Amino acid sequence: MMYILEKKKLNKILSTWAQEHEVFVPQKVEEYSQFLPYTEDSELALKSPHNTRYPPKALFLPQSEVMLKFNNRTQKYEEVNTTPKSRLVFGVRPCDAKAFRLLDTVFDAEDYADPYWKAKRDATILIGIGCEVPPSTCFCTTVGGGPFNQDGLDAILTELEGSYLVQILTEKAETLFASLSPATIEQEKQVEAIQTKAHDSMSPAFETDGLKQKLDQIFESSYWDKISESCLGCGICTFLCPTCFCFDIVDEVQRKERVRNWDTCMFRIYSQEASGHNPRPTRRERTRQRLMHKYSYWLDHIDEIGCTGCGRCVRYCPVGLDIRAMLRTANTHESEAVHA
Amino acid sequence: MSELIAKLKSEIKRLFDEDVVDVVIAFKKADSPLRPQPAFYRKGDSLEDLEYNSLCQNNLANYLTRYPHETRIGIVVRGCESRSVNALVVEKQHPRENLFKIGIPCQGIVDLRKIVKQTGEDVSGYKEDQEKISVVFKNKEYQFDRKDVLHDSCLRCVHPNPVNPDVLLGDPLPEGDPGVLRQAVESFEALTKQERYTWFQQEAERCIRCYACREACPMCYCTECFVDHNPPRWTESTISPAGTQAWHIIRAFHQTGRCTSCGACERACPMDIKMTYLTDKLNEDMLNQYDFAPGMDDTTQPPFASFNLDDKNRFVA
Ligand code: SF4
Ligand code: SF4
Ligand code: SF4
Ligand code: SF4
Repeated sequence: MMYILEKKKLNKILSTWAQEHEVFVPQKVEEYSQFLPYTEDSELALKSPHNTRYPPKALFLPQSEVMLKFNNRTQKYEEVNTTPKSRLVFGVRPCDAKAFRLLDTVFDAEDYADPYWKAKRDATILIGIGCEVPPSTCFCTTVGGGPFNQDGLDAILTELEGSYLVQILTEKAETLFASLSPATIEQEKQVEAIQTKAHDSMSPAFETDGLKQKLDQIFESSYWDKISESCLGCGICTFLCPTCFCFDIVDEVQRKERVRNWDTCMFRIYSQEASGHNPRPTRRERTRQRLMHKYSYWLDHIDEIGCTGCGRCVRYCPVGLDIRAMLRTANTHESEAVHA
Repeated sequence: MSELIAKLKSEIKRLFDEDVVDVVIAFKKADSPLRPQPAFYRKGDSLEDLEYNSLCQNNLANYLTRYPHETRIGIVVRGCESRSVNALVVEKQHPRENLFKIGIPCQGIVDLRKIVKQTGEDVSGYKEDQEKISVVFKNKEYQFDRKDVLHDSCLRCVHPNPVNPDVLLGDPLPEGDPGVLRQAVESFEALTKQERYTWFQQEAERCIRCYACREACPMCYCTECFVDHNPPRWTESTISPAGTQAWHIIRAFHQTGRCTSCGACERACPMDIKMTYLTDKLNEDMLNQYDFAPGMDDTTQPPFASFNLDDKNRFVA
């Protein structure tokens, strides 16, 4: 089913939803954007050519999440309530929605489901918005996605003049738009053209065929020295990445809380062992881990690339390291004898 | 620029030919014309992709501490970078005799965020001369006055000329106006105590603890930063006002008399957080109270790192 949502009615429909759900929309903070709770005064940042800078994964895997509290009086751990009110996230880009689906294979696996992640995921409806003019830093089509991909979404919007066309993708979104008028055949055709055009405007950023094998092959090569030479070893590329999910559990003793915090393989202390030994002693090994995880280990696990081409690491790396260029270099790197 | 780049290439070539250095730290072109990257050249490497322009965002002195002391390093330095190198030499992070500083008088680093705010994000072309910066966005050319798009730290720069370089490429520029440096500190000081705290909170509490500011800073070279220490933990690693405020304050304090106001920390921050107002204020205190400015030579210890037996103040209470 397809509906037409007039732009001037957007605020009204968001406030209606907000009566029943906790609604999150992309909003401007300083010069960046982030999903924040919707209020009548929210200034929507839907115009950007791409996703929000601060990733919406934080809605499901908050940067810091209290897992347990310790009660001094009873000397016992207390559970924290993990079930949020019903949520609606409006304006998710396809790369981020796909990332949620990928992360479900980590946090909601057959043999183990993380209650914190799962409760929030189950309580959430995802309304996406496609990217009409994908910027040069995005490369979703290279890794099996696309600017109007429906993967992981409950509904997706395409911007038209003065309105959005809404495609309903799952039952969850069915009733949300029921009050709107259906789209005309003409509008549907127009949207199809917009979507195809956007998709076709993106050329492949690198060759993915055989890339995993190549990376596995050059695991010990000098390639990694070269590509990690300028890396600062900060947390930007991984913290902002929609598919990076590493965390560190700490006891914040003063506040009597056990907290789960984002962590990253790019930090030295991430792999630092209590003995003092560090199996990933330099940026070479850490950069290697980041790339190998996304472009090799994910494939080992679920036969999918663990990068959705969202472009954040490309846009915000302070030294301009571009994962696409790194992978192109990997593809052309001459396999060499294993160095000692 | 192209003339300068040619000079730079021939100087680097000479350094390798005459066996003066083992490695040269400079900038190179990348796929995007807007993002020149730090580059590391060795003898025999092609210098074809060498780049230098006002988009070179990073403080190259940051890479100095990655090399063993025996490595003879050639490094391209602008004003602040030359002072960072000096400050590192003072702190014995690399011996002066194994450094060759290729100095370039600096016209300031362009802040891309100021440009894309006015054009739009996908800027494709870039050109610059003394006065003007121009970019291409959606096939249209946009022109800016250099001063309107310089990074804030560069607008405030007092010493754009490299201090004690081994060679200077280009003509020295007039020194900056210390009054301008004052302005940012002044406007912060003019606020009431409560307003100052609110401002600090708003900035610090957006922090995601990615530590890009630390990693981008040449003076943050500790093998183990205080925030990474465990046990005991000196700050909460949880994103909480207490932990994040502590991070911001202590990071700034550790820079007292060491920070060269290059602004690399602010440029690296993914959350657009302001932090140089803190270090600039601390540096101002250093200047007023100890008559010391970081990196102006490569021998004087910063006041907080030095001691002498004739100190007129008693040591510990
Ligand atoms: S954002 Fe860039 S500098 Fe920071 S860790 Fe990632 S690749 Fe390295
Ligand atoms: S690796 Fe980079 S492009 Fe890929 S999903 Fe992560 S942030 Fe996006
Ligand atoms: S604290 Fe910031 S401005 Fe000061 S030297 Fe470090 S990176 Fe440069
Ligand atoms: S770079 Fe910005 S977000 Fe990252 S730790 Fe520093 S202040 Fe915080």
